[in-house]
Amino acid sequence: MSKAAILEALRQHPFTHDMEEAWKEVLAEMARLQTYPPDALLLREGRAADAFFLIVDGLVAIEMFVPERGTLRLQTVSPGEVVGWSWALPPYRWEFDARALAETTAVVLDAAALRARMSQDCALAAWILSRLLAVVAGRLKATRLQLLDLYAPPERRTP
Amino acid sequence: MIPSPIYTYPWAPTLERFLPAPYPVTGIRRETGDTVTLRLRPPEGRPPAFQPGQFNMLYLFGIGEVPISISGVHPRSGDLEHTVRAVGSVTRALARLRKGDVVGVRGPFGRGWPLEEAKGHDILILAGGIGLAPLRPALQHILAHRSEYEQVVLLYGARTPADLLYPAELERWRGRLDLQVLVTVDRGDEAWRGHIGVVTTLLPLAERLMDLRRAFILMCGPEVMMRVAARELEDRKVPPERIFLSLERNMKCAVGFCGHCQFGPVFICRDGPVFPLGRVRPLLEVREL
Repeated sequence: MSKAAILEALRQHPFTHDMEEAWKEVLAEMARLQTYPPDALLLREGRAADAFFLIVDGLVAIEMFVPERGTLRLQTVSPGEVVGWSWALPPYRWEFDARALAETTAVVLDAAALRARMSQDCALAAWILSRLLAVVAGRLKATRLQLLDLYAPPERRTP
Repeated sequence: MIPSPIYTYPWAPTLERFLPAPYPVTGIRRETGDTVTLRLRPPEGRPPAFQPGQFNMLYLFGIGEVPISISGVHPRSGDLEHTVRAVGSVTRALARLRKGDVVGVRGPFGRGWPLEEAKGHDILILAGGIGLAPLRPALQHILAHRSEYEQVVLLYGARTPADLLYPAELERWRGRLDLQVLVTVDRGDEAWRGHIGVVTTLLPLAERLMDLRRAFILMCGPEVMMRVAARELEDRKVPPERIFLSLERNMKCAVGFCGHCQFGPVFICRDGPVFPLGRVRPLLEVREL
């Protein structure tokens, strides 16, 4: 995939669209544009968190395998959102699975290269981490609302 | 500047408003494990005129009376439809009715969705759980007058795939080229290949389909969901005058006399149940109101 296509994807993606152009060029050097067929795993619990995914198209489920219950889908991530923040935090290990539910295209950033660059460029690190914090906060809020079980019958709602 | 809606009494509170009329049940459709849609036939000479978003008081003789939104008109018979979730003694009894049983009906009451004001604009319908019921006639009206509106998007959240209301109609709506339907559930199952998460997580997708700042927003669902959604919409620069929500309180008389549904300075039954956010936002932030 050409660097121009990756750059264009970075310009369009809500996570990076208003990032300085020079930084987009830096990210494009460490990125690939990849398409995953339905049911393909983007990442797997316990493995090294070696990538950061900017979802361009498709739909991704965050899942966890639970013995005797099978694979449980917890949330989905849509185009314009990102998958994965374990790459930014030691020990850089995925805590959940992420699976494409439909054919999914993502800009996949090499996490080791991104971490190395961020350790040299504090401004870039601050920019990315502040964006990532907003993503984490949004996901946490959504999870808390899910936990409220708002649509449950009154007698089955958690207190 | 968007002018504030003018509030007037849509009808005089005549005695007729207090007298239930007998409506026979002409059909019952089970929607989910605890929710049914009742089809009720108006007596001769009483056409079922109503505004989408209004409600009727349904009375079961000897049991009690409850406010239930009008969820549509049966396309062939013209009978009124009411979608009822069995959560209390009256609604449980309503959900057990059979064809031929008779329900007392008063109404319609209250203020509906601003479908006239919204003409020529994009419409975002945001529904959670049973909240789709009062929005269904609004969407049916919009689809019947489709050329009068611009982009139309439905965001609908339910607890599980089995809790989705009107599944056949949802499929038909999904098949239309002039309507975008995005559905999410809080808990998926193995067969579910769609979105999982609260309905507000679909807002960024809606934002890709329309300019929310110029859209009319119609929403109904649990009050917490509407409070969070309203905040997120205002963060996206949607004017509060264009965000409309349907509120629910303990309505009894339905004509603004008894005070059971008083919500600060307004009565939900008379001044609502549909309100522009700008009118009720301060009240939504008052706890125990």
